[in-house]
Amino acid sequence: MHDKNIYKPIRSKIINIIEESPTIKTFVLVPEEEFSFKTGQFIEVTVENVGEAPFTPSSSPLETKQLEVTIMRAGYVTDQMHKMEPGQYMGIRGPYGRGYPVEEYYDKEVLILGGGCGFAPIRSLLYSLKAISDKLRKVTLCYGSKTQEECIYKPYIKELRETPKFEVFRSVDKADESWEEKVGVVTVLLDDIKVDIPNSVAVVCGPPIMMKFGTKKLLEMGYPEDKIYLSMEKNMSCGLGKCGHCAMGNYFVCKDGPVFTYNEIKDTPHIWM
Amino acid sequence: MKVYRVLEQKFFEFLAETLSEYSVFAPFLKGNYTEYGEISPEKIKDINFGGNTPITPLKAFFFPIKENVVATKKPQQRIILGVPNCDLAALTLLDNIYLGGEFEDNCYKENRSNTLIIGKDCDEMKPSCHCTSYSLKPYSEKNCDVSMSFWEGIFYLTPISEKGQVFLDKYKISRNESFDTLPDEVTRKRAELVEELTKQNKDVPDEIASRKGIEKENPELWKKHASTCVSCGACSLICPTCHCFLLIDRKDFEKVKNWDACQLPGFAKVAAGEDPLARLYDRVKYRYLCKFSYKPDMFNALACTGCGRCIDTCLGKINKNEVISEACR
Repeated sequence: MHDKNIYKPIRSKIINIIEESPTIKTFVLVPEEEFSFKTGQFIEVTVENVGEAPFTPSSSPLETKQLEVTIMRAGYVTDQMHKMEPGQYMGIRGPYGRGYPVEEYYDKEVLILGGGCGFAPIRSLLYSLKAISDKLRKVTLCYGSKTQEECIYKPYIKELRETPKFEVFRSVDKADESWEEKVGVVTVLLDDIKVDIPNSVAVVCGPPIMMKFGTKKLLEMGYPEDKIYLSMEKNMSCGLGKCGHCAMGNYFVCKDGPVFTYNEIKDTPHIWM
Repeated sequence: MKVYRVLEQKFFEFLAETLSEYSVFAPFLKGNYTEYGEISPEKIKDINFGGNTPITPLKAFFFPIKENVVATKKPQQRIILGVPNCDLAALTLLDNIYLGGEFEDNCYKENRSNTLIIGKDCDEMKPSCHCTSYSLKPYSEKNCDVSMSFWEGIFYLTPISEKGQVFLDKYKISRNESFDTLPDEVTRKRAELVEELTKQNKDVPDEIASRKGIEKENPELWKKHASTCVSCGACSLICPTCHCFLLIDRKDFEKVKNWDACQLPGFAKVAAGEDPLARLYDRVKYRYLCKFSYKPDMFNALACTGCGRCIDTCLGKINKNEVISEACR
């Protein structure tokens, strides 16, 4: 039980802002109080006098002095976030919810399907998986974005490609001649990869339409329903399981998720919205 | 059980005495409806001990319409007097949501613990009252500190919680004549009202039948009943169990918790535009599922106490009981 005020954010200084794409920025935050999270858990980020929105940190959970939040400009609050500068303060609350159960991935291949800004939670997961890579067989990242410009974390992709046991495949919906990787929606990447499905788990994170078709494809490939891990997105306000906004059937995504296995939610209405 | 018998005059003196320590709220008749108001020594004689369910549900004392949940507040000791059982029953769900789970809502907890609740026996019913359909009674036996019955100029006070007993001892109520049971006339009056409510609602499905009916795939039913809904959200806002809110940000990282409702358009819309409750009839159906399926599964409590406020308040004249009866057919 937490005795402190559950609604009060921790002031966190923006020490750096990285432009990942024309619409996506990563904010490097230093909280004024001790703060840690497990990979896949989310935090509520406040812009004073403006609003608050949930994000899964994109940095490594092993890094405790600072954390990174990758934010796509998509609405009123994120518009204001994109106008902020280093030296200013955001507020953070959390961590909340159930993240990725990485210990269940031991001795397995991990196939990760990511789309757009859904790469943010995945990058945090990849950092965690790298730290335990001796316990994993292989990690395959399939990442798709709309255009080349919208491919985020370019330096990190390079680093990942040089990491033993990790492989990276990328696709964009539309590309010019300079693009040397795949063209098409992210699921086309699944046609080319080699996975030992009985010894594998799949992780999907991206926009709802991509999650829907990604999951469908994984099921067709033979992934069992309880081996597909989905990071669900819903409208959220409190993040604490009180305000009702993120209700999804018998679940509150904030406290019961945001990570669910497909079998847990397949009969729930409106999962892909 | 101990029941203290207090004459009206003595009861009024006792209420006046509590005012030095507590802010006391009680039901008053305002026009043709009942509403809670703060009492002063002059107003005690005007308290409406009979009458209908107050317009505002009890939840508003613990989960106010707007509340700054970050700023430090001065604690206020309160008594809420004359609460009907449909509102008390709602506390089971609200407590499970706000006080249960990993995070205890510190504001709700403080508001609850600073408040002493005195429940009352209902002595008349509205056409929409239907607590008995969900195995509830129109008088208080739990979820309050003291239960209060009134009969011909005499108040009968029964301590329900330890806090209630301590309170009655402190104000020397327990020095009044006491009995082991309520007098026959009170018990009889209670039974008569239960009978009347049961008769009035003989066609209203119980919670189990309601759930079955609502869970059926029947889009035409929801489209039909949603056709007069204007998405005003009144049914949710006035509901004693509806707990949804939106945090609004202020300067200095302060946050204001505001009542919100799943019936309002955009409640579930995400920044990129997707909205699982975009369609009006999905929102209307969602409310029924939430009350009879989701909340019982998630928080072990039905989210309807049969207070009938949603029926009384609906601008589109949607009668929840008629919707459910039709869903069960």
